[in-house]
Amino acid sequence: MTMPTDQTGPARAIGLDVSGVSKAFGSFVALKDVDLKVPAASFHAILGENGAGKTTLVRCITGYYHPDHGQIAVDGRAVTIASSRDAHRFGIGMVHQSFTLVPSLTGAENLVIARAERPAVFRWDSERKRMKEFLARMPFRAPLDVPVWTLSAGEKQKLQILKQLYLNQRFLILDEPTSVLTPDEAEELLGRLRDMTRAGELTVCLITHKLREVRAFADEVTVLRRGEVAGVGRTADLTNADIAKLMVGDTPLPSRWTGRKPAQPAPHPAFEIRGLAANRDDGTAAFRDIDLAIQPGEIVGIAGVSGNGQSTLLEALCGQRALVSGEVLAHGERVLPTRAAFAKHRMFSLPEEPLKNAAVGTMTVAENLALRTFDRPPLAKGGWLSSAAMRRQANVLIDRYRIKTPSPSAPINTLSGGNIQRTVLARELSGDVGILIVANPCAALDFTSTEAIHAEIMDQRNRGVAVLLVSEDLDEILELADRVVVMSGGRITYAAPIADTDRATIGHYMAGEKTAEAGV
Amino acid sequence: MVAPSKPGKWRRSVGTWLHYRAETFIIPVLALLAAAVFFSIFLIALDKSPGEFFFLIGRGGFGTLFSWQNTLVRAAPLILTALCVAIPARMGLIVIGGEGALVIAGFAAAAIAIPLDQSIPPMFTTLAMGLTAVIVGACWIGLVGWMRHARGVNETISSLLLTYIAIAIVNFFISGVLRNPADPNRPSTKPINPDAMVGVIPGLHVHWGLAAGVVLAVLLYLLMDRTTFGFAARIAGGNPRVAEAQGLSVGKLIVTGCFIGGACAGLAGFFEVAAVHGRANSALHANYGFTGILVSFLARHNPLAIIPVACLFGGIGAAGGLIQRRMDLPDATVLLLQGVVFVTLLASETLYGRLPFFRPTQESRT
Amino acid sequence: MSDLWDAIALVLIALVGGVVRVSTPFLFVSLGECLTEKSGRINLGLEGTLVLGAMSGYATSYLTGSPWLGIAAAALTGMVFGGFHAVLCQLPRVNDIAVGIALIQLGTGAAFFFGKPFIQPTAPHMPLMALGWWSSDPQLQNALMINPLFPVGIALALFLRWAFRNTYWGLIVRTTGDSEPAARDLGVSINGVRLAATSIGGLLAGIGGAFLSLSYPGSWNEGLSSGQGLMAVALVIFARWDPVRCFYAAVLFGAAGAIGPALQSVGVTQGYYFFNAAPYILTLLLMVASGRSKRAARDIPRELAITR
Repeated sequence: MTMPTDQTGPARAIGLDVSGVSKAFGSFVALKDVDLKVPAASFHAILGENGAGKTTLVRCITGYYHPDHGQIAVDGRAVTIASSRDAHRFGIGMVHQSFTLVPSLTGAENLVIARAERPAVFRWDSERKRMKEFLARMPFRAPLDVPVWTLSAGEKQKLQILKQLYLNQRFLILDEPTSVLTPDEAEELLGRLRDMTRAGELTVCLITHKLREVRAFADEVTVLRRGEVAGVGRTADLTNADIAKLMVGDTPLPSRWTGRKPAQPAPHPAFEIRGLAANRDDGTAAFRDIDLAIQPGEIVGIAGVSGNGQSTLLEALCGQRALVSGEVLAHGERVLPTRAAFAKHRMFSLPEEPLKNAAVGTMTVAENLALRTFDRPPLAKGGWLSSAAMRRQANVLIDRYRIKTPSPSAPINTLSGGNIQRTVLARELSGDVGILIVANPCAALDFTSTEAIHAEIMDQRNRGVAVLLVSEDLDEILELADRVVVMSGGRITYAAPIADTDRATIGHYMAGEKTAEAGV
Repeated sequence: MVAPSKPGKWRRSVGTWLHYRAETFIIPVLALLAAAVFFSIFLIALDKSPGEFFFLIGRGGFGTLFSWQNTLVRAAPLILTALCVAIPARMGLIVIGGEGALVIAGFAAAAIAIPLDQSIPPMFTTLAMGLTAVIVGACWIGLVGWMRHARGVNETISSLLLTYIAIAIVNFFISGVLRNPADPNRPSTKPINPDAMVGVIPGLHVHWGLAAGVVLAVLLYLLMDRTTFGFAARIAGGNPRVAEAQGLSVGKLIVTGCFIGGACAGLAGFFEVAAVHGRANSALHANYGFTGILVSFLARHNPLAIIPVACLFGGIGAAGGLIQRRMDLPDATVLLLQGVVFVTLLASETLYGRLPFFRPTQESRT
Repeated sequence: MSDLWDAIALVLIALVGGVVRVSTPFLFVSLGECLTEKSGRINLGLEGTLVLGAMSGYATSYLTGSPWLGIAAAALTGMVFGGFHAVLCQLPRVNDIAVGIALIQLGTGAAFFFGKPFIQPTAPHMPLMALGWWSSDPQLQNALMINPLFPVGIALALFLRWAFRNTYWGLIVRTTGDSEPAARDLGVSINGVRLAATSIGGLLAGIGGAFLSLSYPGSWNEGLSSGQGLMAVALVIFARWDPVRCFYAAVLFGAAGAIGPALQSVGVTQGYYFFNAAPYILTLLLMVASGRSKRAARDIPRELAITR
């Protein structure tokens, strides 16, 4: 069944029926006997924690993977989807979590190359006419004539969705689309999509781990847990508690941390940033006038969607990027990002994507565990390394943090993601920590690991460590931070103690709607 | 000393260590054999005998004492120019400018000998020549490292460009200002005082450059694998972002590594002038630098492994003349063989981590 | 005094012809590399492709008597060699810069090996177009004998720029070089596109090499190319991956390489080696200048790994 590829006729939503899909990768079973029924013109949510199999399931639907068993039917007719082109032909489109737009191409160029029937040579006047007609019928717009790299995350996300609609994909799968949007942008986007489903123009399948979104927009929800369907139902019929239980099951939660200790007063902040500014690689400003002070025993959370300068700020603090102006102070003393300064002020960091930013893939686990200590006794004596001492340290840390590795001499890139994270944790948190900088620590980790890491961070805070937590997950910040700071457009637009603010206010500042004196 | 709690655990640890390292050793050997097979097929297509070819390499390179001397004389500069590739490579740079550093450093050594020859005792002349060559070589390649760090310039392209520039500079001087008027046939500098030349290792009849190369290889191995500097350099080479996050100065490490590599290549130039030719002329440009690249890659940039690999290629080079005469093959045959080996070696990189034999038996999952 | 003006005029005239002659191989090799790098791969082995193309073009011209067959043979050799580079780099964990270096050695070795019998004999050269027929000055007429490949190169540069914006395949090449996830999402075979781009790049480099042996300097020997292929790679970076800017840059390099011979033609022979070194020094300076360039950071195909 081929969908017409011109957009002049009335758009019709299509329905999808998936039954008995299983998929295994070697000995790892990603999906087991999964059913998914999405009637046409409905708004369906697939809910599950990280690692439950949501992405694997949709990849089977869109032809990226081939399921080992199972049937897929589009509008009642059984089909085989062998590639993404097949999926497109049946009208199934997917908007990925990471952008699949070509940065140096304009929006119009991105739309044009995705069309199923495309001439070898484009005639831009007729293409533009088509796009204009199409946009007139759409509930939102995005700039089409500038290179995509100049667009904001929200505009890029809208463009991705427009691209799928332009291709007349009437079953739209969205994989965590709001992770890069401010709460208000997310509301607007999902709201408009729901309107389209109500009008019968579109079927939406939303993959998310946010209960709130499911509640607010979905008609029905399928909950996945460890590769199996834990439950299905109409959102109206299920309570939050029901859904949460389906997501997490009966596994006992790790005992939560023993609560917050009140912060101890100190003569000066443990960690302070004054007037920090830096640029991106292409010369544009990444952030300006950043002022921040963290007391010992306090967690300050920087909230904000990606692309507002947070990752550049982290690079600058870790010494990976030169500053344009400003200074960093630790324990009242001006510091530069040198090894001596890090050691003296006991500064440690847990960056995001540990294999990329915190570990040397080709080096062994023991060597990676030694990255902070290799140039000090007992591992080093007068410039000479002691591999025996390195091995001893590794064995101790591997035991203590339960890192699963065949041997300390295994290259770290042979370990699973969770174990790499544990290695980094072991290295950074096992010593005497004074200042801790953490970035998106729990991205792509399952619930249990997330809780464990949160417990570690809280533990450090209770021991008097000054923690800077940068996270794109507002829930994480609301849970852990004592104070929250919002970065938007490369500046701090809001700062408040957690007790004095709420999600909605923070969300508005994240959207850049309000600015206030950041004086806390 | 380590007293492990359970002896079995220690043995298992060493066993796994060997398991991972075996791959590093066996795959290049397999690549070498595969290249030999490919080249044999090529020879057969040309109606030549591969057996004779490899036999002649054995004879011309390793058969007699005389051929061994020939081989080692060639191996000496190869060790040094390979180190010029290996040390920056451990820091994540691919620097191929050893040829240029050798040429310009050798020339500098010959040039400085001219005013010094008459004025100071020959031993000091030799010392000055050596020092000059080392400093010039170090700066030449250090420049490559600096450009990479400060301006983001690709070090492979810039080091090769500097090689051409070095050759042009040297040609300029030896054909012009510093030309030896006594030699009408070939442009060259004045020959240095024979007393200032570097002698041969007694009993081996190969110049001291060989010993210098071996000693440097061992020292640099210890530096890279057993010192904190080497560890920091390997971090920078493995993941520069992590190195910076750990407070290491990647720029300083890179430039230092390039200085060291350049110093080695410069030393090779010194010995070529002071021990072999006695002057600087076009014979300096003998492709030792380029062959050194292959030596380092085949040795997987390990300074100790460079020593035997350099001997292997020294032998192939030494047998070149014999092969040319006996089998009526052009002198580019050795160049072609090296090219085949290099390409096969790089293609074999894909096998790392994919051959089940080398994968550890215990898998780990969260 | 009029002698000086005459001399300057002679130098300028010689320069015009020289610029066209010296820049043509740069033009072809850089356009080929521009296409390859736009698809997200860097091919340093073009130096080897250039030499191999020069040799095979010369040999074929000699053996068949037709320089055009020589060009065709060089193009074919270059295409196969470029394709070889792509196939090797496709293998996982293979370092494409190291492959480039290896192919320089393999290409040069193969060219010298098979090219030995062709060093002495003279092969028929490419015919030139006499664009100076309107002048009575024999020197000017001489300088304006242009190889037809030069205008072909200009046309190619314009075509490539147009194609990158207005054809499906042009946009796909840019996609592969800028965002692998986007290319995969479109169902495009990234390796296939890069194979095609690198092969065509090699084809153009082979033609550039054949120009060296069949037009200027017009003979085959083992010192024919010294780094032109390498400089073309640097040239593409300096031109920020735009084909028409590659043309301008090629002309700039042509001028740098032509000053020496132009001065020689009026008898100025000092500084011969300096002028020899001029193109390399120019390349180095350009690389330093454009290394941290902010515009380059914006224009670079994001999947290209020049400094890792």
